[in-house]
Amino acid sequence: MTWDSSLLLLILATSLVPGLVIFFLPEERVSLRTTLNMAGAVVKLVLVGVMIWGVFHGQQYETRLPLLPGGLDLVLHADAESVLFVTLSTVLWLVTTVYAIGYLEGSHHRSRFFGFFSLCVTATVGVALAGNLITFLLFYELLTLSTYPLIVHRETEEARQAGRIYLRYTIAGGAVLLVGTVWLYDVAGSFDFTHRGVLAGLDDADRAALTAIFVLLIAGLGVKAALIPLHGWLPRAMVAPAPVSALLHAVAVVKAGAFGIVRVVNDVYGVEFAASLGVTGPLAVLAAATIIYGSLRALFQDSLKRRLAYSTVSQVSYIVLGIAIVGPIATIGGLVHLVHQGVMKITLFFCAGNLAETLGVHNISDMNGVGKRMPWTMAAFTIGALGMIGVPPLAGFITKWYLGLGALDAGQDWVILVLAGSSLLNAAYFLPILYVAWFKAPPDAWPAERYWGRRETAWALLAPPAVTALLTLAVGLLASAPFSPLQWARFITTQEYAP
Amino acid sequence: MNAYLSALLLLSVPGLPLLLAFPALRSRLPRPCHLALLPAVILLAVPAAFSIEVPWLLFGSGLGIDAASRWLLAMSVVLWAVAATLLQAPSGQAVDKRLTVFFLLTMATHLGAILATDLVGFFAFAALLGYGFYGLLVAAGDETARRAGRVYLVFMVVADLVLFEALLIAAATTGDLHFEAAHHALALSQEGAPASLWYVSMVLVGFALKVGIWPLHFWLPLAFRAARPAVALLLGGVPVAIALLGIVRFLPLGEITLPDLGAGIQWLGLTAAIYGTVVGLMQSHPRTLLAYATMVVTSLFITLLGSGLEWPLLGAALQGTAPLFIMTLGFTVAALVAGSMLADKVTTQSALLVTARRVGVLLLALSPLMTVILTRPSGGGERLFAESGLVALWPWWMLCTVLLAFRWLYLLLRRQGETMSAPASMIPPGDFWPILERWFSQSNHWFMSMGLQLLPRWRSSGLAAAGRLLQVRVWQKALDAGERALQGWSLAVALLLLLGLAIALLSA
Repeated sequence: MTWDSSLLLLILATSLVPGLVIFFLPEERVSLRTTLNMAGAVVKLVLVGVMIWGVFHGQQYETRLPLLPGGLDLVLHADAESVLFVTLSTVLWLVTTVYAIGYLEGSHHRSRFFGFFSLCVTATVGVALAGNLITFLLFYELLTLSTYPLIVHRETEEARQAGRIYLRYTIAGGAVLLVGTVWLYDVAGSFDFTHRGVLAGLDDADRAALTAIFVLLIAGLGVKAALIPLHGWLPRAMVAPAPVSALLHAVAVVKAGAFGIVRVVNDVYGVEFAASLGVTGPLAVLAAATIIYGSLRALFQDSLKRRLAYSTVSQVSYIVLGIAIVGPIATIGGLVHLVHQGVMKITLFFCAGNLAETLGVHNISDMNGVGKRMPWTMAAFTIGALGMIGVPPLAGFITKWYLGLGALDAGQDWVILVLAGSSLLNAAYFLPILYVAWFKAPPDAWPAERYWGRRETAWALLAPPAVTALLTLAVGLLASAPFSPLQWARFITTQEYAP
Repeated sequence: MNAYLSALLLLSVPGLPLLLAFPALRSRLPRPCHLALLPAVILLAVPAAFSIEVPWLLFGSGLGIDAASRWLLAMSVVLWAVAATLLQAPSGQAVDKRLTVFFLLTMATHLGAILATDLVGFFAFAALLGYGFYGLLVAAGDETARRAGRVYLVFMVVADLVLFEALLIAAATTGDLHFEAAHHALALSQEGAPASLWYVSMVLVGFALKVGIWPLHFWLPLAFRAARPAVALLLGGVPVAIALLGIVRFLPLGEITLPDLGAGIQWLGLTAAIYGTVVGLMQSHPRTLLAYATMVVTSLFITLLGSGLEWPLLGAALQGTAPLFIMTLGFTVAALVAGSMLADKVTTQSALLVTARRVGVLLLALSPLMTVILTRPSGGGERLFAESGLVALWPWWMLCTVLLAFRWLYLLLRRQGETMSAPASMIPPGDFWPILERWFSQSNHWFMSMGLQLLPRWRSSGLAAAGRLLQVRVWQKALDAGERALQGWSLAVALLLLLGLAIALLSA
């Protein structure tokens, strides 16, 4: 086995192996568990760095393992699209691991938690590196199974109920996806992801069947991507601990759904063929409706995590909208938002976790003057929130710029109104939080305050949101720098739309 | 000048205030708010015009200084230095930390906007300025300040959205968004392209919201009244000035001809002047009157702008002379606010303030004449300028400003020595709908008492019903019910599949 074919397996192994070892570690082996977690995350980051460099310089990385007789292979393949998603999950996994170590200090079942946590990241990286639809489906299902124990980690009745809803939704979605995948194989004779789509050359195919398959695939993936009306599980799942929420909303689950839709449109159907089939228009409308609906729902929530959850419902659909508009500029906007939404949303969830852990604050109505007590946390939250609104020069501004410009370029001017409405709603549900946090007088006592000496909270809880807030600023301000997410999204789109 | 030195100097003008906004970095420095202006002062001392390009910044942005930005930078340094001095509480007690942070953040964005050489860079600085100034208005303020802040923020968010759409149109027209290149490209695309008219309209609406031009001026009186003196002093020279500069920076004045829109804008300017004078004279608080006086002075600019859109020669002249007008406006407002402090009794430096009051009154009263002199074009367009609405009407305009100046002086003298009463809002606190409803109801009543049926028979109850529909709770209940139904995955998946299959059948 050569280096080129084993690199992808090594990247998977850097989270899989520590995860499996951690399962068998006794609770009190804190140092070893932390070392394994951190070593895995750091080594993965280095290996992904090597992969980025190689892919940028035209290196091919592929691993093909026989899965079933008849040419059904498990294929791992690194292309520009997968690199974008792998990099996002790897960087944010490292940050989330630090945060989780601090967050779960002293809590029960930590070995179980970190074991599933590592499995969850393995599955996400597998989803990103999948070279065909069947490999994608396998890791997609593994993601479902490894996330469920994290959602019910607290073992409360509310958590169990949220877990049950999550499982019902995602297993049903997986089943629908499986039906679509099998039907697709029957029509196309291939599962492979290819540039311009495996279906693009099939001129004599049954268009109604292909449209129906597209609907099945989108319905299956739309569950995790939280497209309406399939989003019901996501706001319920916010009962999970903050690091899990961060994983669900920024790194793994919703991203896997959105990334799947990108794969289906770009590499299964091909953007041009999908557009000629007439399926991208309805998909764009569905994404737009989700954007507005999610924002409207967020507006009414008093629970901070619930508001953020509905915000995710809205924001993840920007990715789908960018792809469904059909055009190189909008595609850049959609792809870059895969990263931008991740860094912004993870910042917000980290901060929400800090407020809950340090002060016992869960609701916006209890956040009066919290900026005075926790200025660094709220400064990070402010950057994340302003980024979500699309205030320049933060990450969200770059996304909205490319989506708007792409819509104009593709002649879909109505999208501008959706973006404007969404930005207005984002401002309406984020700015009041900043107002109460910074300008209202704090209460005499917080619901459940914990002290960390002169610091506002533990370092392990404070550093991750600070880092991701800086990333939110950096990916926006330095958008045109080499190897920025924007430049990488441009690189992908150049390949996708090359003549 | 050495390229690295140029870059260092230009980047440090907004960069140093930004760095000093971090409490840890300024805590050991004496007078950090004054110190933050040091790079700007050095830049003013360098006589050459130069600029830098930062290709990795946003979509490729730049900073630079030319004759126009030099004037504005000079005004800004003076205003920020005075405001920084006044920011210190008179009793010597420590200034609220948040106020200092917002002060430095707003300073950074303001100086950055002046030096920006492209549309996106300017927009970014101007948008951040809005948020920073909101903080300045609200930090350590009372309920009136918070209300003024809320109204200001709503206006700024809407303005930024409108300007963002305008920027998208500009970017769709040209790949190069540096001011001159963008102006040229937009002017070339004008013929037969509705996008150009959309662009100009959106730029005007966006910046009108930020300037506080009638009828989009509601934030201005509230902000003048609620802001602490050090902040009110900046109102003319910072948010209003940057918005006026934005109009000049964004519009390809001198390269486009939009006669109908230009004529309309001239009428708008005239109406704003009349409205500002009438309502301003009715004010009983000197600071609120200043908001309307500002509106009257900016209406001069708006009228000039209308002429510039109608006649490109005047538009080209306005590009060059606008900074002088903006600078005068900034100093006028600052002097008048400083003069108002005599009545507010917030400081004991009365000799300086008396001088400021005199200068302010003079500047306000003479502003139409000064505008005519400062903005007179040279090298073409003099005849057109002489025939333009502003020049023809400037004595009337001056009557307005003189009346306002006297009224302000009268109010100031009357209040001097009085105990300052708790400020009341221009618009009473409460919802927007009841105000609108009351307004419609009274208008109806008035028209009917005159025997006129100009308005349709609007029933205020109908309006109230419409208002109720907009209330959060009605929608919240409806959405909650839908959400509960969708908690069942089977219904959700079935719904989407049915929808998708319907599309599949339709498209087959």
